[in-house]
Amino acid sequence: MKKLVALALLLFPAVLVFPRLALSQTDPGVRPGPVNGQIGATQGNPLPLASVNSNNPAGVLDFFDNGLGRFQEEESVSGGADKGLGPRFNFNSCSGCHAQPAVGGSSPADNPQFQVITQGIASGSTNRLPSFITAHGPTLEARFPFFTSSSGAPNRNAPNGGVEGLFTVSGRPDAGSCNLQQPDFRHAQQTNNIIFRIPTPTFGAGLIEFIDDSTLLANQEAQTANNFGVGGAFNRNGNDGTIARFGWKAQNKSLLIFAGEAYNVEMGITNELFAQERPLPEEEQGSGLPANCLNLAGRGYPEDATNFNVASNPDQAAQNAQVPADVVLLAEFMRLLAPPVPSTLAPGGSQSISNGFALFKAVGCATCHTPAVKSTQPSNITASLGNATVRAFSDFEIHHMGSGLADNVSQGGAGGDQFRSAPLWGLGQRIFFLHDGRATNLLAAIAAHRSNGSEATQVEENFSSLSRGQQQDVLNFLRSL
Amino acid sequence: MPAGVILVKGAWSSSAGTAIPLPEDGAVANGKYGNAYFGLEYAFGSDWTQRYEGPPPSESGYYVLAQIEPGTEAQSLGQGHVLIAAQDLFFTRNPAHDALELIHHYQEHLGVEYRVQRPPSKVRVANRDFVRFDYLSRAAGLQWHVLATQIRCHVVLFTFTGSDTQITRRLIDSIGTMPQAPGGAPVCIKDYANAETVTEREDPVLAAPRFNPVPVRIVIDTEGRVKHIHFLSAFPDQAKSIADALSQWRFKPLIVGGHPAEVETGLMFGRPPRPSTSALH
Repeated sequence: MKKLVALALLLFPAVLVFPRLALSQTDPGVRPGPVNGQIGATQGNPLPLASVNSNNPAGVLDFFDNGLGRFQEEESVSGGADKGLGPRFNFNSCSGCHAQPAVGGSSPADNPQFQVITQGIASGSTNRLPSFITAHGPTLEARFPFFTSSSGAPNRNAPNGGVEGLFTVSGRPDAGSCNLQQPDFRHAQQTNNIIFRIPTPTFGAGLIEFIDDSTLLANQEAQTANNFGVGGAFNRNGNDGTIARFGWKAQNKSLLIFAGEAYNVEMGITNELFAQERPLPEEEQGSGLPANCLNLAGRGYPEDATNFNVASNPDQAAQNAQVPADVVLLAEFMRLLAPPVPSTLAPGGSQSISNGFALFKAVGCATCHTPAVKSTQPSNITASLGNATVRAFSDFEIHHMGSGLADNVSQGGAGGDQFRSAPLWGLGQRIFFLHDGRATNLLAAIAAHRSNGSEATQVEENFSSLSRGQQQDVLNFLRSL
Repeated sequence: MPAGVILVKGAWSSSAGTAIPLPEDGAVANGKYGNAYFGLEYAFGSDWTQRYEGPPPSESGYYVLAQIEPGTEAQSLGQGHVLIAAQDLFFTRNPAHDALELIHHYQEHLGVEYRVQRPPSKVRVANRDFVRFDYLSRAAGLQWHVLATQIRCHVVLFTFTGSDTQITRRLIDSIGTMPQAPGGAPVCIKDYANAETVTEREDPVLAAPRFNPVPVRIVIDTEGRVKHIHFLSAFPDQAKSIADALSQWRFKPLIVGGHPAEVETGLMFGRPPRPSTSALH
């Protein structure tokens, strides 16, 4: 009895301070401990795949390290070796936005875009910080779903959906006379004609790239027999009809395309995949970019190209790694990144995590968030990429997610309400959830799966049918990933 | 711009020709789900409703027809919900030809986290043949009761999910009050469009290589013309090209009992569906 009284006294203050602790299930938040669950990883040094770490084949580690370096390069417009930024951009490095919990990840807690003007990356005389970019909000790219009519109203018959660069290089000392205006974000917000995307994490991306289509199709067929109202389709590459799998709508076929497009669209750096400077969609409708905003780096196009002449280096592998263009090494870096390692103990303990996994499957989450896809195709790059089980918690299909999540942007075969089942590996250390980072709490992210037209409504209702303790187990499981 | 509205659609359902009810056209009102295409009227009680509509039909012919749950969020905890879905047997990826085979296929793919309570078996409810299949998840404390019936080359599935057996039993019992479906529907025949029956055809020209399957359900009138086209999943340009082509198709009329009869069948355009690996085995 004394023990019970002591326990009650011990718990009493906690219940007063954290009433939800006693009554409700809560998202445990970002899981502390090793970055990506990997012993030895740090924010600046994510781990590569095991075979890469052991430098198999010889030289591959140099390519990974070189790619990591290029991923973190801060680009200028025309000065120095790393140039080509702009004329429009969202940030000046890959790693600024792909940062949580390590380089290659997703949006960090402190938004570097909030500092773009104060740090002189964009000139404050010609740029204004968009109101949706906040100090501790997600890093964002913005898109206007529709072009506007002459009255300024969104024209539903003219879908746009292209990325609107947040900043211009105008006013920077290294940008010459280029004088561009930012898109009218305020008007877009007033007319509700703007949507956002956050960076997708890239850990384990090479394994995703190496899943053969037949494996994905077999998984799709197996998942068809579900009683949860789930359909699904693949977003197929328009050139060869194979399954695309990267990006929020699975619109990108390969990591090289993913890197090349991002380099051009997010940072304004032309490359061997996207060799022209990219105007805004509305500029493209007119006369394109003005001449004084072209070739700002002064070395012709593409701004990022193969390095045919590199300094000789006694370390032949390191010398070899200097030859490819940035986009090739950026893609290689992502391809060789190790997937996150889930925790078996935290948060909540092994029993809770195990229960949560069982519940995750029972209520139907695993229909789309397929726990494991077996196996990757044989690899001609490095051993760890081949014949591997991909525990990404995704079927890589696009699903109708309903009016609540629809962003009215079509990409490839994906319509305005269709999204790829987001891979959940690494979820335990992510801060922002859903395509636009609207949720920082897993419960809110789960609740958003239910709306008119969503394939996930039944599953969300099953989750809601669970007791609070069971829901807590699911949350603990998700944060263990 | 209105918020929370899907304006930019990808491959979606649509129809052309004579307007007749579509499988996805059912509605929930006043405690009932009614569907003119399937001739269904399911009364589940006025204290339950549909809060969220389902997605459009899938490219493999899977429909979420209705999602029924208790009328208020506060009531919903623990009371469960009802999913009314349909699987088109013309386009299914499952190697199933009827309701029993489809439900057996579901059973075969049931994860280890579930335990079968009642294997698929034929039952007769409300003068209809159903297949019943019950299973549960001990971890979740949830039970699934599936009642499947075959209508117009579809398997219509009523799935009752919940932990309260009394409520579930009441909902299942309500199936027994369903009135008989009215007659007069076209004869449904899988793969009716073939070299024997098609006398004139013009293949559609699909301009863009989108690589998506385009399942199309058609109704052929008694004179052998395509009178109704239902695109389960098609981009607008694909639907227009296919509708233009099908308007030129002619079939030998189907004779039933000495009289010409309307036929309903399915056609797949675009990317041919991948053969089911289960079927290959």
